Amino acid sequence: MTRKLFGSRINRWINRRIPRSDSQTLTQKNLFILPTGAGMVFGILLVVMLLTGINYQNSLIYLLVFMLGALFVGAMHQTHRNLSGLELSLLDAGEGEAGSEIPFRFRLTRAGNDSLAVSLSAGSAVISGIHVPAGESRDIHLPVPSSKRGYVRPDRVRIETRFPFGLLKAWSWLRPASAGIALPRPLPAPDVPGGGEGAREDSNARPIVGQDQADLRPWREGDLTTRVMWKRFARSGQMVVADWESLQSSPDWLDFEAFPGVDVELRLSYLAWQVRERLARGERFGLNLPGETIEPDAGDLHAQRCLRALAVWGLEKPRDTGAMRYGTRSGVDAAPGVGAV
Amino acid sequence: MRALVWLLAGFALLLIPQWDRLPPWLLAACGVLAGWRWLARTGRVRLPGRWLRMAIMLVLMAVYIATVQGHFSVDTAASFFVLAVGLKWLETRSARDFYVVFFILTYLAAVNFLFRQGILWAFINFAALALLLVGLQTLNAPDLPAGARRGWKRLGGMMLKTLPVVVLLFVFFPRMAPLWSVPMVSGQARTGLSDTMRPGDISSLAQNSERAFRVSFGGDMPPYPARYWRGLVLDYLDGETWRQFEESAIEPPSRVARDGGVGELEPGQYDVLLEPTDRQWAFALDGSVAVSDNVIPAGQNLFRFRRPADTSVRYRMALGNSEGQPSLGTGERRRYLQLPRDGNPRARALARELVRRGSPEQVVSGFIERLRQQPYFYTLRPPSMPDDGIDALLFDEMRGFCAHYAGAATFVFRAAGIPARVVLGYQGGEPGAGGDYLIVRQYDAHAWVEVWLTGRGWVQVDPTAAIAPSRVESGLRDAVADEGSFLEDEMISPQRYNDLPLVQWASLQLDRINYNWQRWVVGYQGQSQMDLMSRLPGGLGLKELGYLSAGIVGAALLLAGLVSGLRLRVRHRGDRFGRLVLSWHRFCEQCGVPVRTGETPGQLAQRLAQSAPGLEKPAYRFARVVNRHYYSPPTAAKPEQEIRQLKQLLKAMKRQGRRRPPAPSVDGNQ
Repeated sequence: MTRKLFGSRINRWINRRIPRSDSQTLTQKNLFILPTGAGMVFGILLVVMLLTGINYQNSLIYLLVFMLGALFVGAMHQTHRNLSGLELSLLDAGEGEAGSEIPFRFRLTRAGNDSLAVSLSAGSAVISGIHVPAGESRDIHLPVPSSKRGYVRPDRVRIETRFPFGLLKAWSWLRPASAGIALPRPLPAPDVPGGGEGAREDSNARPIVGQDQADLRPWREGDLTTRVMWKRFARSGQMVVADWESLQSSPDWLDFEAFPGVDVELRLSYLAWQVRERLARGERFGLNLPGETIEPDAGDLHAQRCLRALAVWGLEKPRDTGAMRYGTRSGVDAAPGVGAV
Repeated sequence: MRALVWLLAGFALLLIPQWDRLPPWLLAACGVLAGWRWLARTGRVRLPGRWLRMAIMLVLMAVYIATVQGHFSVDTAASFFVLAVGLKWLETRSARDFYVVFFILTYLAAVNFLFRQGILWAFINFAALALLLVGLQTLNAPDLPAGARRGWKRLGGMMLKTLPVVVLLFVFFPRMAPLWSVPMVSGQARTGLSDTMRPGDISSLAQNSERAFRVSFGGDMPPYPARYWRGLVLDYLDGETWRQFEESAIEPPSRVARDGGVGELEPGQYDVLLEPTDRQWAFALDGSVAVSDNVIPAGQNLFRFRRPADTSVRYRMALGNSEGQPSLGTGERRRYLQLPRDGNPRARALARELVRRGSPEQVVSGFIERLRQQPYFYTLRPPSMPDDGIDALLFDEMRGFCAHYAGAATFVFRAAGIPARVVLGYQGGEPGAGGDYLIVRQYDAHAWVEVWLTGRGWVQVDPTAAIAPSRVESGLRDAVADEGSFLEDEMISPQRYNDLPLVQWASLQLDRINYNWQRWVVGYQGQSQMDLMSRLPGGLGLKELGYLSAGIVGAALLLAGLVSGLRLRVRHRGDRFGRLVLSWHRFCEQCGVPVRTGETPGQLAQRLAQSAPGLEKPAYRFARVVNRHYYSPPTAAKPEQEIRQLKQLLKAMKRQGRRRPPAPSVDGNQ
């Protein structure tokens, strides 16, 4: 209980120190440093060695202890300086299917001196061994795992170094303002004939231009017998199905209401599958979601737009929950859509 | 894992100072295990599985336990560390394992310092540590190009930067007394005198050129024949063997007029730096008194340390003022006349004959005269004299070493009724480089006699001086020059090649470096520290030193923090214009006009003017000057002028801004 309370306090303190931003220069203000486990053991070892030196009245052991102790302090500065002055920015919060890893692209830029053996991590995703020489920058793809569709924003992206001796670790966090998007995982949608017709009464006014626009395709299991072109079957013996049925129920439109009674997430998955299918076939289609409508179009960009809409449908774009301090520049920067006049 | 190479190299280097203490099987096992790990790294063999590893561990532990046989000493502890590292090599897979190895090896370096403190050994230890630290760097940045070279450079830089603090701490850190007593029981026998003397014992020491101790004199060095360093007294003859009647009891200090051996050496004083002997004997010239308080008088005009000299010890003595023993009690008289019931009849007959001549003085001089006149020889190759050795030496063989003659003389004097005792110690010593100190080596070990003459007290009698005067006048080398037996077993000792001037010069220079290292670095313990502190103004005690050390550490940390902070500041705000613009930004924020990313100075000035109407003019002008400085081609305007102008404008804005309360934000996004 106390630990929880304490932890939330610490978290609030950290969040105050490190405001949400897509870019951050590491300075004394937001950089933390503590000995690692090995560093602790090293400290204990130094004490034991000093005791040995005292008890055996051995000057050289004193010398050794002082030297190693001074090196430890020197390493503290080295480790700190290894990160201090490094600029970490989120270039691009990526997209991916829910359940897979969403690539986030970061850029590390260094002025002054080198940053060596830096690692970047978010949750279980770790990229280590990043070396940024002085005056250069490195782009890093960090795959952030996602579980469900929606906005993906790691609360904290940790940047850490243990260089040079691994006895101390210096770290900081980037609390990205932008979020990546996990698209709904596509699931093959069952063909629901006439589904959603009631819901989209108005779009039925669309002119239907006869059967010549209908798709003819071989019969496959599950097709309704009424759709089989029996005349053609009588003539050639081939079971051909006219797909004009879907055309009739506004085939240009993928509709959220087309799957009555189905769970919302499942519906979105079906729609995602349908979008991909349409894209693969190069068809024009529109997307109709409650509260959001995307006019029919074709092509990659359109499909992407539709998928994004599906991914974030019904979700609030994540914002920083903490109140912004009055008058902080960084706070204004972090607020999306305000910067870059 | 390139780090492995560095750690293995460090391990190999750390084993060097241990080579003669570790059991050979352990060295071999370590070689095999480390080699195995090395081969596994190159992919030629595989590391053993869990069961094989377990088996290897059990076998080696069993051998270790069999070797140790329950004798626990610092030696066995050291070999346990080595064994632990050796076994650990087989399971160094993760970084964690490497850290375990690193920690054990670091402690091993400290243990090495317990055994050997010479400058070369210290160098080897520090070099090994440097290897380990470079190894840690490669462990933490495995794929860094040119990592090793940069690692060395970084390590060197860090050491150089921290050197002043290390030196200051070394000098000022209070050297406390041991917190608890830890006798350093070493399984190894050290070369040096032993507390029994059989004829022939010392002649084996005479073949050893190791250093026994080194002496610096405050005044002139005593002449060679006067350099008798008394160590211990043997007064009990047990068959053929001379022993101590009883370990002389340490007398509590009688006088308190000790200054702890601090300060410059005064005339008549001398500093001895004794190599570790594991014994309590302190060697001193005849008629010395203890000055430093780590030596205590112990009866029989001898001195003892408070604890065995398991590391090199420095102590200070002074010549003169020794009070002679006034008289000999009956118990003591009996003790110094003790002889075996029978044996050596001819020597006893000789004693009776000498007694007939007259007073004890005449007996002594008569015996010495006999040694001088008859053809006695001083030799490092004495014949073996199994039965009635003293008779055989005095009447048949007439060839022997100092121990033979000292034993025989004491026997004869005691048989003649004169209290006598054998004194063991060293005689002689050669000047070191520069001639400012003496080096006494093991081959200077010597045995001589002291007799009690009523009215004169204990008198030193050296039968060897009668037989081979060159032994006490210029040393063993000259005494056995004809025989050619000097250091005949020590082929590589530089002392053997004394006739080669270059070898001699080099060996003496090396010794001088080592002597100073031992005196000022290794020997920098409680006393030397107090010595140094007493020369500084305002006497510093242990407590003050503690505060001072804490102060040094604090100041160093503060300084380092300041330097790194300043460096950061300079890097960020190196530009004077940038600084002014930043302070303008701060002012704007105070006025409730937050600066936005990507905003030009003009836009900011505009917003500032909107929020604070009085500020329009200076704000716009400020923005113009900033724009002109940064974006227009170089003009005639001097930067100094621009700076001054900006400062004035900023001041004006601040004055203006203070007159009115900060406006509420006009920024709609708040």
